[in-house]
Amino acid sequence: MIRIAAVGDVHLGEDARGRMRPALEKLDEHADVLLLAGDLTRHGTLDEAQVVADEFSGLPVPVVAVLGNHDHHDDKPDEITKLLRDAGISVLEGETATFDVDGRTLGVAGVKGFGGGFAGKCGSAFGEPEMKAFIRHTCDIAERLQGALASLDTDVKVALTHYAPVPDTLRGEPPEIYPFLGSYLLGEAIDATGTHLAVHGHAHFGTEHGMTPGGVRVRNVAQPIIRSAYTVYCVEPSVVEVV
Amino acid sequence: MSTDPEQYLAARLRRALAEDPRTTELGVRVTVRGDHVLLSGDVASAERRAELEAVIHDIAPELTVLDDVQVVPVGEPGGREELR
Repeated sequence: MIRIAAVGDVHLGEDARGRMRPALEKLDEHADVLLLAGDLTRHGTLDEAQVVADEFSGLPVPVVAVLGNHDHHDDKPDEITKLLRDAGISVLEGETATFDVDGRTLGVAGVKGFGGGFAGKCGSAFGEPEMKAFIRHTCDIAERLQGALASLDTDVKVALTHYAPVPDTLRGEPPEIYPFLGSYLLGEAIDATGTHLAVHGHAHFGTEHGMTPGGVRVRNVAQPIIRSAYTVYCVEPSVVEVV
Repeated sequence: MSTDPEQYLAARLRRALAEDPRTTELGVRVTVRGDHVLLSGDVASAERRAELEAVIHDIAPELTVLDDVQVVPVGEPGGREELR
């Protein structure tokens, strides 16, 4: 059984330094890996990223992260990525990370994701340049996610995003803002690649449990939803393979 | 034609909480009823909860703030979910 801990939207800054650390010190008793589903900082500054690095480095399990919209606010996503990677955290944007867990393999593919909406209620790359840029950003990211997931040849595949791949896990948010919370293109990438679990954040008022149209479990791990330092999903590779 | 000024005010306050560098909170709900404004949601520290009220006060000092915002818990999880 592979134990996957996950949390998103921790929004760390100097004023929240050290808050999560006590619950993280014994993480290996509960999980084999920790996934961070974006919005690690408040304003996307390097000072805040340093707090994130201090909070999540040196843990007894590997840590894999994607960035969120807050982590882009100060226009330094590359610098934040480097700072976190230098601290030993795997930051994914179209890349993968793989792990051996008791003889089975776990692969994580990660992207930030973006908005656009869900099937039948979504934007198109048409009209003003701003609208085309908005939708093309999502299309590019979804393509990168699909490529990364397809490249994994592991017993368990997990998709890690900040934005939501399905509307199920947004229940509780106003439906009018769903197009700013996720995109069906992410779900389509997940369904096309034999993925076992999709983890995202971003929707603080959403719902933890959902499923893609293709039957893949989706979990919204935004901290206001899970109301703990992290939550744990256990995946049994052989059982999942049968399903 | 009604202009529903409460709705515009709530939208302005919500944008301020999202865009003001003191708060940058997109996960806080703002509900205006008469001369009261209700804030709800979660933030990561007690300081941020106080900043929400400060930003609201700067824009609409006449409103009384009802603060239901909580500092999000960060303890160990109570259990785990087995996906089958």
